[in-house]
Amino acid sequence: MAAESPSSVRKVVVHLRATGDAPILKQAKFKILGADKFAKVIDFLRRQLHQDTLFLYVNSAFSPSPDELVIDLYNNFGFDGKLVVNYACSMAWG
Amino acid sequence: MMDLLHWDGTLSAKDFRIGAVAFAQKWESLNFAFPPWVWVPCPKHPWLASPEEEGYLSMEKICISRLNEEDIDQTTQIDTDEEEASCSGNKDVIDDATLVQRNHHELHYYDFHIVYSNTFRVPVLYLRAYCSDGQPLQLDEIEKELPTCSSKELSKSKWTFITQEEHPHLKRPWYKLHPCGTGEWMKLLFLNDTAQPKFEVVLELYLLSWFSVVGQVVGLRIPFKMLNDR
Repeated sequence: MAAESPSSVRKVVVHLRATGDAPILKQAKFKILGADKFAKVIDFLRRQLHQDTLFLYVNSAFSPSPDELVIDLYNNFGFDGKLVVNYACSMAWG
Repeated sequence: MMDLLHWDGTLSAKDFRIGAVAFAQKWESLNFAFPPWVWVPCPKHPWLASPEEEGYLSMEKICISRLNEEDIDQTTQIDTDEEEASCSGNKDVIDDATLVQRNHHELHYYDFHIVYSNTFRVPVLYLRAYCSDGQPLQLDEIEKELPTCSSKELSKSKWTFITQEEHPHLKRPWYKLHPCGTGEWMKLLFLNDTAQPKFEVVLELYLLSWFSVVGQVVGLRIPFKMLNDR
């Protein structure tokens, strides 16, 4: 029987979903360490899309702060074994 | 009945009030890190039938006093100095310099208002900060003090949209986070909500979702239990 890995090395499956007019990623699913901050997801997306102004949010009409831990987001908003993160390229601020 | 697909993400003044009250209630019952938001009525025409409709949410005198790394070092140094002074036998000598340094860490207070914008038809965050003697803080001082997120570029870009403007009800200069674009991302937030709520639910949750975005700029975090309580 495999021992349960501690949450610090546990990985979370993140599914990046394009909304609005945002470009769709070829590879939209990836794994990230639960102990990592949401900032890592944001930075990853920005590099992939070569865009700085991105708006990221999860399915409960909520935009997570970059300092939130991915594992916390998964535990609260994940379902079906993954965390769905929506993204749009609309300008967030005036 | 409003259908989300054709909704532009904005609210009427009346809906803002409903949403504001719902938000304040949720906050009071589930967010223990901060005091409650209070609805402040500002009737334009107090003689009309519904004078309570116009107003704003207020959360004031939030004390933000965080010791950063530099301050911790200073404190250590002060202790060392005192020890040396007492060892030298000058126990009664009050080192003015040491005292000044110790009191140098001022307490700063923040007032936050959520005000409805008639132009953009969305809520707008207004804030101001001041010392215990009432002396106002400038934007660059506020910027240094409010907790920024680890993503420096993100927090930096958001700060460029804070400007000083006259508070619509109090007629005094406050700092305001620009609201244009709010309708757009509010619509996105709800359009992609897996629960696909009816408009009444959207109204109940509107300020909460709005605050999850706007609160990040000023380091105010929404606890998850507020969002899960649906």
